[in-house]
Amino acid sequence: MNFAGVDIGSTMTKVVLTDTTDKVLSAIKGPTGPEHRQLANEVMKSALEQAGLQLDDISYIVATGYGRVNVPFADEQITELSCHARGVYSIFPNVRTAIDIGGQDAKCMKIDKGKLIDFVMNDKCAAGTGRFLEVTAATLGIPLQDIGDISLKSTKKIQISNICTIFAQQEVVALLSRGEKVEDIIAGLHYALASRVATLARRLKIEPDVVLTGGVAKNSGIVKAMKESLGCDLLVPEEPLLTGALGAAILARENYVRAREKGEALPIKSRRLDKATFYNNGS
Amino acid sequence: MANQKSKTYEGLSSAQDIYLNRSRRARELKAAGKKIIGYPCAYVPLEMFTALDLVPYRIYGSIREPVTEADRALPTSFCPFIRSCLDLALKGKDDFLDGLVTAHSCDPQHRTAHIWESCVQYSYTHFIDMPGTIRADSLEYFKGQLGDFKKTLESFTGKKMSLAKLKAAIKSHNQQRALVKELYQLTKPIPPLISGTEILQVIKAVMSLPVFEGNELLSQVISEVKNRKDGPAQKPARLLIWSSTLDDTDVMQIFESHANVVMDESCGGFRPFRAEVKLTGDPIDGLADYYLKEITCARTFRQATIGETRKDYAKDLQSRFGYLKSMVKDWKINGAILFLVRYCDPFAFEMPSLKNYLDSIGIPSTYIEYDYSVGALAQLKTRVEAFMETIG
Repeated sequence: MNFAGVDIGSTMTKVVLTDTTDKVLSAIKGPTGPEHRQLANEVMKSALEQAGLQLDDISYIVATGYGRVNVPFADEQITELSCHARGVYSIFPNVRTAIDIGGQDAKCMKIDKGKLIDFVMNDKCAAGTGRFLEVTAATLGIPLQDIGDISLKSTKKIQISNICTIFAQQEVVALLSRGEKVEDIIAGLHYALASRVATLARRLKIEPDVVLTGGVAKNSGIVKAMKESLGCDLLVPEEPLLTGALGAAILARENYVRAREKGEALPIKSRRLDKATFYNNGS
Repeated sequence: MANQKSKTYEGLSSAQDIYLNRSRRARELKAAGKKIIGYPCAYVPLEMFTALDLVPYRIYGSIREPVTEADRALPTSFCPFIRSCLDLALKGKDDFLDGLVTAHSCDPQHRTAHIWESCVQYSYTHFIDMPGTIRADSLEYFKGQLGDFKKTLESFTGKKMSLAKLKAAIKSHNQQRALVKELYQLTKPIPPLISGTEILQVIKAVMSLPVFEGNELLSQVISEVKNRKDGPAQKPARLLIWSSTLDDTDVMQIFESHANVVMDESCGGFRPFRAEVKLTGDPIDGLADYYLKEITCARTFRQATIGETRKDYAKDLQSRFGYLKSMVKDWKINGAILFLVRYCDPFAFEMPSLKNYLDSIGIPSTYIEYDYSVGALAQLKTRVEAFMETIG
């Protein structure tokens, strides 16, 4: 038996295929893009190819992320909060708090043995999300993947006072014209984001172990700034983007096995990689 | 399903129809010579309209209509509900209203009232200054405010508000409160006999009708729902929604896709009907007491004790939120959503304490802020579903 987790985030679509022991058979990431409603099947196809499997070989499929209702071949939808909680727990069994910084949101989860017990999410603006770094990196003309390492070279602490992404962008321009060094400005941006997310996380009681996930966790500068803002150590999975999809695949196995043991029928969708038609609010 | 409903439940389908065409009855009444007075807040004593044969009409915003016109007149970073109310007024959607009565329930309403009254021409406007606390001196002040309100209404209508008429109006509105409480009895069974969505439609309909017609509608709904066999399906959780305003069924349906909403402690739900007005010698005394003390809106500051120099937090929480304890028990509630319209300061300030109180009585809760716009519903859905996963 094999299981699939499909995580359609605002920026990236992720698919993880697992077996009955939760071993990862394949893991694929692709940009969600403007066509995100229709691309889940493409990413799924690549994941199946990589694992040498057919869609019929997958016993149960869980979709998660903002686009979870747009996966026509998914058997069940579970929020990304529960999926991240479960995915992170499978990698770090002592996790009590997880912070996920994605492309368009940031969330903090309290976890008890893999189960989500409480959470907070940012409000809708881009402050405290990956988009904040994307926009400001573009202003500085630096590739996004380089800004973390550049920020580590900073020797001067610069305070970015604006939390709003657009105003911060203007502040960056002003700092540049004042002659501040790029690495110091980038470090300042990292601390601005980290302090915003840390404040959000403190609305819950932060208990160790604390794990950082999401695309932004790949940025070494953010990891450092988050550690300082939270005042505690942080664990980062090797693939911080995949914990949601991994958790979805594990929950797929758990829900499937539980239903079988209880003799309950599960609503299995037809195993066809149809394109989603249109977002319908899930109703 | 809608067709099926209309065959069986006339009251419910009539409520749904009024919910979808809220101003129709008010327009008919206006054409027949009645005066219609709009009010956007539960602190306006409707009894005083009814006593003078004026028709009260609850003003709501609309999460479906983007705010455009109001942004010419108001700052944009405050209460989107009141911005939406003014926006609809500026767009002429409430053009059947003869008057507007506002209360100082919060600063946005207070400040907006001035602008509203100057941007839209009404034959009658009045502003009631609500004291911020429930102290004895506040009550005396508030009685004076209601006395002024009575005078301006009398001069507008050219009629005297007799004690007998006011008392009769209080009785009718108390009857409405009793009927709404009876309606909410129908969410007590497991599963409930009536959904939160249906109740929202009924209450919003009632707030668009003269009191007598509202009472008829309520009676009709109650009698048909009581014996109903095809009520809402049982869901894994029974929720309390605590909110400033929850006035759109699309929002309610997000809650109800995963739970039974059995108590809606909001301005368009149970809150304005929770208690009843005492019939006092001077009816103004009873009205003042009710509107100042019994409406459990976060805008009023409630202290456990006056004059103590050290605060007892547990006692304080009990005096502010104690009424929720029996609600939770009687309606077998196992989760609460604290649902906040963005920038609503009075409610936001209550959140940490309210969450502490709910923790202390063992009710899991989550705090969700929304933008009072349909655009925000996808995010809302994720938060609600995640909360359901934590308590499920």
